[in-house]
Amino acid sequence: MTTSTIGQNVVRTDLQAKLTGQAKYAADLKLPGMLHAAVLRSPHPHANIRSLDASRARQLSGVYAIVTPFDAPPGKVGPDLAVLDTRVRFVGDEVAAVAAVDAETARLACSLLQVDYEVLPFVLDPDEAMKPGAVALHSGGNLVGGKPLSLERGSVEQGFAQADLALEEEYFIPVHSATALEPRAALASWEGDSLTVWKSSRGVHQDQAILAEALGIPVAKVRVIGPFLGAGFGSKDESRLGALTAVLAQRAGRPVRLEYSRSDEFVAGRTRHGGRIKLRVGLKQDGSITAIHMTAALNKGAYLASGPNMMRRLGQGALYLYKCPNARYDAYLVYTNRPVGGSYRALGAPQGHFALECLMDRAAEALGMDSLEFRLKNQVPPEGQPGRRTTPPGQLIDSQPLEGGVPFSSSGLDQCLRRGAEVFGWGNPPNPPLQRRARGNFAPPTDPAKKRGRGMSMMIYRGGPGFTSAAEVRVDTEGRISLVCGLMDVGEGATTVLAQLAAEALDIPPQDIRLMFADSAATPTAPITAGSTATFSTGTAVVQAAAKLRQQLLDLAADGLEAPVNDLDMAGGAIFVKSDPARRMSLSEVVRRGVGGSEQNPPNPPLAKGSQGGFLSASVTANPGSADYIINSFGAHFAEVEVDTDTGHVRVLRFVAAHDSGRIINPRMALNQVEGGISQMLGFALSEELVTDQPTGITLNGSYLEHKCPTILDYPDVQVIFADVVDPIGPHGAKALGEVPSVGVAPAIANAIYNAIGVRFNQLPITPQRVLEALANK
Amino acid sequence: MQPFEFVEPRTIDEAVALLSAQPESEVRIIAGASDLLSEIKEGVIAPRRLVSLGGIPELRGIQATAEGLRLGAMTTITEIAQHPAIVSRYASLAQAAQGLATWQIRNVGTLGGNLAQRPRCWYYRHPLAVCLKKGGDRCYALAGVSKHLCVTGGDRCYIVHPSDTAVALSVFDAQVEIAGPSGSRSVALGDFFAGPGRDLTRENILEPGELVTGVVVVQIPPGPLYQRGEANNTPLPQRHALSTAERGGGGISEVRSLYLKARERETGDFALVSVALALELEGGIVRQARCALGGVAPVPYRAHEVEEYLQDKRVSGADAVHAGSLALSHPRPMAGNGYKVPLARNLVKRAVAELLR
Repeated sequence: MTTSTIGQNVVRTDLQAKLTGQAKYAADLKLPGMLHAAVLRSPHPHANIRSLDASRARQLSGVYAIVTPFDAPPGKVGPDLAVLDTRVRFVGDEVAAVAAVDAETARLACSLLQVDYEVLPFVLDPDEAMKPGAVALHSGGNLVGGKPLSLERGSVEQGFAQADLALEEEYFIPVHSATALEPRAALASWEGDSLTVWKSSRGVHQDQAILAEALGIPVAKVRVIGPFLGAGFGSKDESRLGALTAVLAQRAGRPVRLEYSRSDEFVAGRTRHGGRIKLRVGLKQDGSITAIHMTAALNKGAYLASGPNMMRRLGQGALYLYKCPNARYDAYLVYTNRPVGGSYRALGAPQGHFALECLMDRAAEALGMDSLEFRLKNQVPPEGQPGRRTTPPGQLIDSQPLEGGVPFSSSGLDQCLRRGAEVFGWGNPPNPPLQRRARGNFAPPTDPAKKRGRGMSMMIYRGGPGFTSAAEVRVDTEGRISLVCGLMDVGEGATTVLAQLAAEALDIPPQDIRLMFADSAATPTAPITAGSTATFSTGTAVVQAAAKLRQQLLDLAADGLEAPVNDLDMAGGAIFVKSDPARRMSLSEVVRRGVGGSEQNPPNPPLAKGSQGGFLSASVTANPGSADYIINSFGAHFAEVEVDTDTGHVRVLRFVAAHDSGRIINPRMALNQVEGGISQMLGFALSEELVTDQPTGITLNGSYLEHKCPTILDYPDVQVIFADVVDPIGPHGAKALGEVPSVGVAPAIANAIYNAIGVRFNQLPITPQRVLEALANK
Repeated sequence: MQPFEFVEPRTIDEAVALLSAQPESEVRIIAGASDLLSEIKEGVIAPRRLVSLGGIPELRGIQATAEGLRLGAMTTITEIAQHPAIVSRYASLAQAAQGLATWQIRNVGTLGGNLAQRPRCWYYRHPLAVCLKKGGDRCYALAGVSKHLCVTGGDRCYIVHPSDTAVALSVFDAQVEIAGPSGSRSVALGDFFAGPGRDLTRENILEPGELVTGVVVVQIPPGPLYQRGEANNTPLPQRHALSTAERGGGGISEVRSLYLKARERETGDFALVSVALALELEGGIVRQARCALGGVAPVPYRAHEVEEYLQDKRVSGADAVHAGSLALSHPRPMAGNGYKVPLARNLVKRAVAELLR
C-alpha cells in the first residue's frame, strides 16, 4: 500500500462535468422525434372523475397521445397509487397526461380535456380525518393500517409512577418541500416491447420494478437509466412520473419527455410529513429520566409513499436517544387531501427530534440543570439501553431497535457533546440561564431590541444494517479498472466515495477507476439511495469485491511470476515480487493471462486491440450488519441566534455541528453534507412551510418566492467537527452521515431562541409573525 | 400558456396606439417582465399581445432637470440603486432599490414596472382562486391565509401594494408622468395609487391605453458621501447639509432619509412591512417629516400622525417609541396579520431613532 485515499479530500468524480455544464440531467436529454408531455392536474381536493372527454384535445394539431384514468394500464406505481385513478385526492393530483410536438401544445391540449368531476367532501387535518364519519380517501379508511404503530420498552405507566416530575408538550410540524433545484423529469423510449426510461431517480432498479408492475410487463423488458440527479433528498421519485411518460411514449410510438414545472414539483412532488406530536417525559429530582412517551398524529397527504418508514423513524429519538428503561411510541399515520408526504432527508427524524430536544431542554431547566449537563448525564451510553435483548442470538440487530441490552458498535455521542460544546464555547462561561442573562463572551448586540441566545440539541440516527447491496469490480485486458454498481449517485457523491474504496484495495488513484453506475441493464441490482447507507452498505460490497479481485489478480500473477502469493504486492497498476521488485507483471498482462491470452500467446478468438471483450471481474453482494451491536450515528448541534424583537426576525449567527459518522472517507464531501443539512433545515426551523388553504384545499405557495428557503445571506458561520471514531463494522470504519445533519438543527435553534427571548416555540417554522405574536402575548 | 404576439414600438405614441387597439384584458405592457411573465406562466392572466417598452429610448435613464431628477420608466432598479445622485441625496429610494428582490431581478426590473406591478396576494396569484380582483365573487383570504395582507385600507379586497420604490418615493415630492390616448398628464405619486374602494381590479389610476413614462422627484441638494448601510435592515441614515444660502437664511439645514424593510429572509423577499422616513432638519429642529409604510395597506400608506408628531420637534426631544405608536391610526388587522401592527410601530420607532441618532 503506497498512499491511502481513505480520509483524503478526493475531488468529486462529477465535479468538472457539473461545473462546466457538461453534466446531463434528465431534462437535458433528447432523442430524435421526441415529444413533450404535460399533465392535467386536479383543481379539486377530492373528487370522482365521472367522465373525461378528450375529443377536443385529440383534434388539436400536434397531439400524439393521451392517457386518462379510463384507458390507463391497470397496474400500480405504489401500494395505493394507480397509474391514473378515477378518484383524485388532492389539488394537483394527476388527472390525465398528453404528449405533443412541444410542451406548449401539450399544455394547451390538457386545457381542452373536458372532465366531469363529482366533487367530494375533503379533509386536511389528521385528527379530523380520524374522526368517525370523516370522508375516507382510500377503501381501508384514513388511518393507515387501521391501527396506530405502538412500541414500548419497559412500562411508561410504571415509569411515570416513579417520576418526581412529569412534563408534557405538544409540537406542530409543518409540511415543507425538499426544493431540489431540478424539478423531476423523465424520458421514455420503446423499441418493440422493450422500454428504456431515463429519469430523475433515487434507484434505477426500484424504478424498473415499479414500471414493470405499472405497465404489466416483465422486469426484463424495462431498462432504467439514472442520468445526473439535480438532488432529490429522497423525494425522487415516488410519483407517477415514469409510468405516465412510458405510457405516452408507447401510445405515441415516439420517445416522450415529461418535465415537472416548479409549481408541480412543490405541489405534486413529495414533501416532508407534517403533523402533531405529543411528548411526555418523567423525571427524577436527581436528573434521571424514568419515562418517555411520544404520541404522533402524522399527515400522510393523499398517498402512502414512504409513510410507514417515516413514522417509524420519527419515534426512534424518543425511544433511544436518552437512557431510559421505559419508553413508548404511538403513531397514527393518517390520509388527508393534502400534497403527498414522501421521503425527505431523514424522513421523520427531524420532526421527532424537534419535539424531543425541545422538551428535554425544558426538562433540564425544570431540574435546574444546564442543557449540556443534562444531556451528558442522560445520553444513551455505549452499552445501549437498559433491558433485555429480544433479538434471537445470531440474528442481525435492527438499525432502529426497541430492545435494551444491546451495545452500540461504536458511539461518539459523548465526544460530540463534549467537543462540540468546547468548540462552541458552551461552558466557558456557562450558558447563562434566562433570568441572569449576562452577555458573557457574546459580542454585545448593537441594538437593545436584539437579543442573543444559545441552544443545543443531540441526535441519533439509524445506520446498519442498511440494504442488500452489490458491486462488481473489473479489470480489462488493457489493465483498466471499472467499478460497476447499480447505485444512483443522488448528488451527494456516492460515486466518488465508492471509487475511493475500490481504489484503496487495488492501490490505484480513484480517478483512474471507470465508473459504470445506475443502469438497470448493465449493473448489478442496487437498493435505492436512501437511509444514509450508500457508503455503509454498498461501500462494504465495493471493498469486498475489490479485495476479491485483488486476490484473483495476485493468484494469477503468482502463477505467471512463479512466486508465492504472499511475496507479491500490487501498486501503480502492476504486481511485483516484494523481495525482487524488478520481477513484475502489468495488470494488463495478468488479465490477459486470466482470460486466456497474452501478447505472445493471443486468446482464441483474438481480442481486438483495446477491446474490453475480455476482463476479470469480482462481484459481491453484501448486507453488512451485526448480530451483536447496534450500528448508529450520532451528533450534537449548538446554535447562537440573535432575535430582533422589533421585527421578529431570527438570525442564526453561529452553528457548531459535531458528528459521529465513524471514519470519514472524504472529509470535504462530508463537510458539504453537514453544511447542506444545516442550510436545508434552517428553512425548516425558521421560514419554510408549504401552506394548504383550509377552506379550499389549494396549496397556496408552491414557489421559491413564497416557500422561503434560506439564502446564502441567511446562512450562519458554521463549524463542523467529526468525532474520532472508527466503527468496527462499517467499511474502513465508516457509518451513516447523509441525512444525520438535518436531524438536530431545528431544536438547537428553537432552544437558542428561548434562551434569547424566553419564549418556547412548539410550532415550526419560527417566522417573524410567530415571534411577534408570541412577544405580544408574553 | 396561451400564445401571444410581441410588439416593440419605437415611440411612446406608437406604444399608446398599440395599447389602445385592443380590449384591455388582451394587451399588457412588458418592461422587465419579472412580474408579468410569472403572471402569464402561472395562468393568472392570458394576454394576446405584449407591448414592449424596451425599444423606446426616451423611457430610459436618469436625468437632472430644473425641478429635480427625472427617472425614465424603463430605468432599471440596479441603475437606481447605483446612481450617484440618488445614492447621495435620495437615500430612502437608493436603499429600497438596493434591498429589492435579487440582483438578477434588479438588473432587469424597471421603475415603471415596480410601480405598476400586481399584488402578491397568494389567492390573486393562484390560478384556481378566482377572487374579486380577478372578477370572481369573493375574497378567499377572509376565511383563509391573511398573513401578508393589509391591516388598513382594505375594502372587500385586502391586498398590500408590493412596491418598495413606491414607498420610498412617497417621502419625496414625486410626480408620476403618464402618457395615454388623450395625451400626457402628471399626477402626484400619492394620487397615482388607488385602493380597492375605487376599483377592485386595479391598484392605480392608469386608464386603459395609458402607461407610466417616468417619475420626477423634487430637487434635494447633494450631501456628504453615501455610507453603505449595515445589514439587518438598519441602514445608516443619510445626512445632507444644506447651506445657509440654499435655505435662504436661517441655520444649517439637512435632509435625512432611510428605508427599512422587514422580511423573512435577507434577500429575494417582499416586505412584510417597510418604512420610508425623510426628515428635513434645521438647527436641530424637524422642519418637515414624511413617513410612509409599505405592506400595511393596498397603497403606500402615509403615516400622517407620525409626520405631525415630528413636525417642529427638537431632535433631542423626539420620542421614537411614541412616534412608532402613531404609525397606524386605526388598524383593522385580519385574523392572521395582527403581527403587522407591532411590526409597523417598531419599524417606525427604529426609523425615527436611526434618523435622529
